[in-house]
Amino acid sequence: MPLDRASLLSGALSAPSPDPVAPFTIAAEPGRVLGLVGPPGSGLTRLALGLLAGFSRTGMVAVVDVRGWLCPVAAWEVGIAPDRLVVVRCPERAAWLRVSAALIEGFPAVYAEVPSGVSDADLRRLGALSRARRSALVLRPLGGDLPGGVAHLRVEADAVVWSGVDRGHGALVQRRLTLRVSGKGAQGIPRTIEIVDEGFPVSPPALDLAVHAVG
Amino acid sequence: MARILCIWFPDWPLRRPDTPTGRPIQVVDASGTVIALSADARALGARVGMRRRQAEALAPTAVTLMSDPGAEAVAFEPVARAVEDLVPRMEMAAPGLVYLPTAGAVGYYGSEDALVGKMVAAVEAVAPGGRFGLADGPFAARMAAERAGDAPLIVADTAAFLAGIDVAALGVEELVDTFRWLGIGTLGDLAGLPREAVASRFGSIGLEAHRIASGEDRVVHPRQIHDEVVVEDTFDPPLDDFERAAFAARALAGRLLEAVAPSGAMPHRVEVEAEAASGVIRARTWRSSHPFSEVELAERVRWQLRAWVESGGVPGGVVRLRLVPADLSDRGRQLRLDEDAASELDAWRALSRAQGLVGPDAVLQAVPQGGRDPGERVLWHRWGEEPGIVSLDPSSPWPGRLPEPSPALVPPRPRPFEVEWDGGFPTRVRLGSRWEPVLGWAGPWRQTGRWWEGEAAADRYQVVTSAGAFLCEVRDGRCWLVGVYD
Repeated sequence: MPLDRASLLSGALSAPSPDPVAPFTIAAEPGRVLGLVGPPGSGLTRLALGLLAGFSRTGMVAVVDVRGWLCPVAAWEVGIAPDRLVVVRCPERAAWLRVSAALIEGFPAVYAEVPSGVSDADLRRLGALSRARRSALVLRPLGGDLPGGVAHLRVEADAVVWSGVDRGHGALVQRRLTLRVSGKGAQGIPRTIEIVDEGFPVSPPALDLAVHAVG
Repeated sequence: MARILCIWFPDWPLRRPDTPTGRPIQVVDASGTVIALSADARALGARVGMRRRQAEALAPTAVTLMSDPGAEAVAFEPVARAVEDLVPRMEMAAPGLVYLPTAGAVGYYGSEDALVGKMVAAVEAVAPGGRFGLADGPFAARMAAERAGDAPLIVADTAAFLAGIDVAALGVEELVDTFRWLGIGTLGDLAGLPREAVASRFGSIGLEAHRIASGEDRVVHPRQIHDEVVVEDTFDPPLDDFERAAFAARALAGRLLEAVAPSGAMPHRVEVEAEAASGVIRARTWRSSHPFSEVELAERVRWQLRAWVESGGVPGGVVRLRLVPADLSDRGRQLRLDEDAASELDAWRALSRAQGLVGPDAVLQAVPQGGRDPGERVLWHRWGEEPGIVSLDPSSPWPGRLPEPSPALVPPRPRPFEVEWDGGFPTRVRLGSRWEPVLGWAGPWRQTGRWWEGEAAADRYQVVTSAGAFLCEVRDGRCWLVGVYD
């Protein structure tokens, strides 16, 4: 099956096609919430950073790092300039909502890990704020899922397949992410897509990913 | 902080060859502001910074000349060459104003006093009347030169020197008025305020003012400049007349700024390099306190070409012209159509609020540095403060560095990681409550560590499972998780 090239990033190119068989594009869009659901290791952090890279060309982008594990080297590799990235470490659930809201008010794009225990109502308020401020918000719940209706597009990691390593030989080179997308951003049609990420080293302006529908 | 020697000639525009003698003279720039005055015009009451009409009213007998920076650069060329003979890394800010980083030269001449003494003798022989100031950073050096008088002024304690200087020296009128209204009259008063408070109240302009008042220089954002950003042009026949030089300068300046713009950066310093038909290569660095615009950069290149051509510095004309940008920052660049000036201020406000909620230690930025591990390659610093000194050179080769892609998640400290081995090969890893079979792995990559400091050697593995890829290390018989390829 031929792979359709698509941009992951640009707001201008992000409107999903109404045609269900056309290539599908994952994009962080101003005023929209994109939910990423999957355990650590499923490849979603790098995906989220790639989604912010397009915004970092014209402004600063922010990450709310709940675990304190985010490594900026990965962000630089996907094309975010060091002086355009701000990382706010916020392990405390009590402050998380206000920190995230403050960043949404001031940044064109925010990637926020969501700690366990944040109420559905608070997440909905954040979604409303991002729509009001025209800020692109990428949410990554660290435990559980996002409540229904918060994310314009919900992306759930299904599988990640790495290539480049064998029994002791080689090194990680390429990954193939299988993702299930649903929500309004997918016209309400749940589908499975595959992303081949081979952009290493990645240089600005964009992390180009190959996307094609597999189901 | 780099020690900088500033050489400043007050009223250099008066030293043009076409300046009449025996009469009061004032030089005005294109906007009609007086930028230089002879002593007798000054005695009549005129002052630098006045409008032309006001100065002419005070000194009606004075001859008014229009500023001609090209001619001033030509007149300054002998001084520039005398300076370069002693310290090759000279940076021109304007005709009559140069800065010299002194670190290497002090080592060569033995002391700052010896260096300044030689410089004074060399410059005075060519053009008397210069002022010499040496301090930490260009701003303080300029302040020292302005206050030097006939003898050079070498400032040992820059912060103490700046403390007594009026805030008007910052040159930001609206900020200075607000400072005065708040009772902040001197740079010392400003430096005494907490930096976070100044940043929170005045944003990036206030932060920069605070840095300058504290005797620090502007924060430089080091960025990797690819070779292709360096722009050059060749000329056949050689460039030997002023009209063609001006055209070439404009075109090259435009190309350079276009080339750096996609990375969101603008240069504060540009090296102009010209190769003469005779094979002689001349290079001169021009600097600016704010990023160069296309017009400003083209002007500097044009002045420099004219100075070289008219002083015989490029025999036979210029056959190759090259511009090399340096010292890039993202401030002052021209906004794109999809950007708006308020967005930066919005981000500053948001981060100030976040700092108030989680503390300044949790709002971070990072700069790249050298190292083998992803964690080692990151130098964190608080947002709004300057990064620490990059002790590990990122451009140096780092044999054994972990290949890209880097793990997106790196725990602050290695965490225990359960791995089952069979004959030295990993077979299963424990992820939470379940065991995942290892589908493939790379390694072991031996890392000897700082054995002279007692650090144990470790073996690194990239381990791939159906749930993702992980970076782990085996040290002292135990396995640790050091990265997740998330």
